[in-house]
Amino acid sequence: MVRGKYLASLKESIVNLDFNAVVETAKEAMDAGVDPQIAITDGIVLGMTIIGEKYETGEYFLSELVVAGEVMKEGMKVITPYIKGGSAKKLGAVVIATVEGDNHDLGKNIVTTLLRVHGFEVVDLGTDVPTDTIINAVKKRKPDILGLSALLTVTMPKMGEAIESLKMADLREKVKVIVGGSPVTSEFAESIGADHCAANALEGVKKCMEWVTPRETR
Amino acid sequence: MHGVGDPTGDEVSMTEMTRRERIMTATRKKRADKLPFFSLWRHSQIGWAERECRNRGMGMYWQRPPYIMKMHGVKSTETQVIASGAVVLRRTYSTPVGSIYLDEKREPGVEQWKGLASWRDVSPWQTERLIKGPEDYKVLKYMVENTEYIPYYFPIEQAMDWLGDDGVVVDRLPHSPMQMLMIDWIGSEGGRFFIHHAKYPDLVEDLYRAISKSREPLYEIAAKSPAPITSCGDNIDGVLVNPKLFQKYFMPEYEKQAKVLHEHGKLMQVHMDGRVGVLKDLITKTPIDIVEGLTSPPMGDLLIGEALSLWKDKVVWTGFPGSVLILGPEAVKKHALNLLREVGSGDRLVIELCTETLLSDENLLLLTSILENADLPLTKEKIDRIERSLA
Repeated sequence: MVRGKYLASLKESIVNLDFNAVVETAKEAMDAGVDPQIAITDGIVLGMTIIGEKYETGEYFLSELVVAGEVMKEGMKVITPYIKGGSAKKLGAVVIATVEGDNHDLGKNIVTTLLRVHGFEVVDLGTDVPTDTIINAVKKRKPDILGLSALLTVTMPKMGEAIESLKMADLREKVKVIVGGSPVTSEFAESIGADHCAANALEGVKKCMEWVTPRETR
Repeated sequence: MHGVGDPTGDEVSMTEMTRRERIMTATRKKRADKLPFFSLWRHSQIGWAERECRNRGMGMYWQRPPYIMKMHGVKSTETQVIASGAVVLRRTYSTPVGSIYLDEKREPGVEQWKGLASWRDVSPWQTERLIKGPEDYKVLKYMVENTEYIPYYFPIEQAMDWLGDDGVVVDRLPHSPMQMLMIDWIGSEGGRFFIHHAKYPDLVEDLYRAISKSREPLYEIAAKSPAPITSCGDNIDGVLVNPKLFQKYFMPEYEKQAKVLHEHGKLMQVHMDGRVGVLKDLITKTPIDIVEGLTSPPMGDLLIGEALSLWKDKVVWTGFPGSVLILGPEAVKKHALNLLREVGSGDRLVIELCTETLLSDENLLLLTSILENADLPLTKEKIDRIERSLA
């Protein structure tokens, strides 16, 4: 199989949500000496881009987005050990968390997967994360973006608490804050001083890319 | 109908409906005297504001189970363990074909408010679900196949006695078969259900069919309970339950359930408080009588007026959006008045003050001030008058 066929096959296995095919093709591609970085960017990432397009047009739903992310991870497990000389240049850094009292992680995990696909370095703090832990992570990691998620109305105020704590720690001007979750509205985001409210995972990732991409190169 | 100030209801010249009559009249697609509104027992505070609002027309709504269940050949034990650094309650089920367990995290006050809820009205959260890997399916299938549902109407009868004309009691059933897997047993954390469904479709479908079969006696039990309505137990959001899943796994179960309920003259209700715009055409084709908890934008994605126009054979019990309540009284007032303006005459509509969180006294009183004056049919003049009365 020539290189182009391996890449096309990797892309197709993502689009078709095929766990077995992605692993087999990734192994074959690596055995055949395909550049692992190219296999990722021109195979797997391209497949995820098509998944995103299908999601946006309503052909695919959240379930396909989630499963595609898992298929991608299986393929990456095979390819990553072949990468030599460190990973590719990162687009930006993100710290992400579901706020304290809230254990929902579906939306946060999809955003995390998509951010990584697009070249972000993501520190995922998990769910039910106390505000202090979030602030400490921002201090330590110095991310470009802080992502906060909530699915419960009762936990939404914790997002405001985190932003206030960023101000107290003199960190607010150093990091963009994006919030998201089913009950979180733009009006609420504005009221707590967030920079953006993600309408959905894809839109949120686009906003993050916009923030870290110099205007002239967009 | 009861006369004003006449608890016996004998005074025929008076026409004010009781809270129960108001809710049930609208739910049976007839015109009530006023737009019915109520507080959901699980999320209702108790105190002076709640009493005042109830005196001014707010009804109450209780869901209670009409059954008890027994698992045969299954031993259940509970113990406290530390998992991932947190103290959790571990419940283990042991069967002749193996054991499975779940872990549950409980915040302060759990079981001390109402039901299993905490002081903040938050329920316990499972940090480990019963199904973790493919080997767990057979154990859960054994549990499902050895579960017996037994009629037990005391909770319904007691609540109906207590509430009387103050509100409505509804049978509460567990989630429908696929949602049991999606929410309770496999769980959706990190998209686990979707991943299992993609990786182990045969195991998921086999267990789905077993649950569906085991539920058949439960529908008969609900149909014979004294409550006028049965809530099928689901919690539908089109983001999680996409149209393909809804059509394949949910609609057939609703058909099965509705057939039994309708034969006994009962109404069927499904809780749909998520973004259901993507399901709106499919919902039209279901036998559901009451779409309960439907939440308008910005939390939901379907206007209530549009839903009423689209689902002409259904009644909508709309939940007031929690994401508006959190913004305070001005936003609440604006949203409530806009809601009244977009629902036409207000027929086939019931307002639930909130289906997911506690209301502040301030919001509760404000919503009551608006809704107690919402005489039907709604007109622009009546709504303008309500708005002026709030100034």
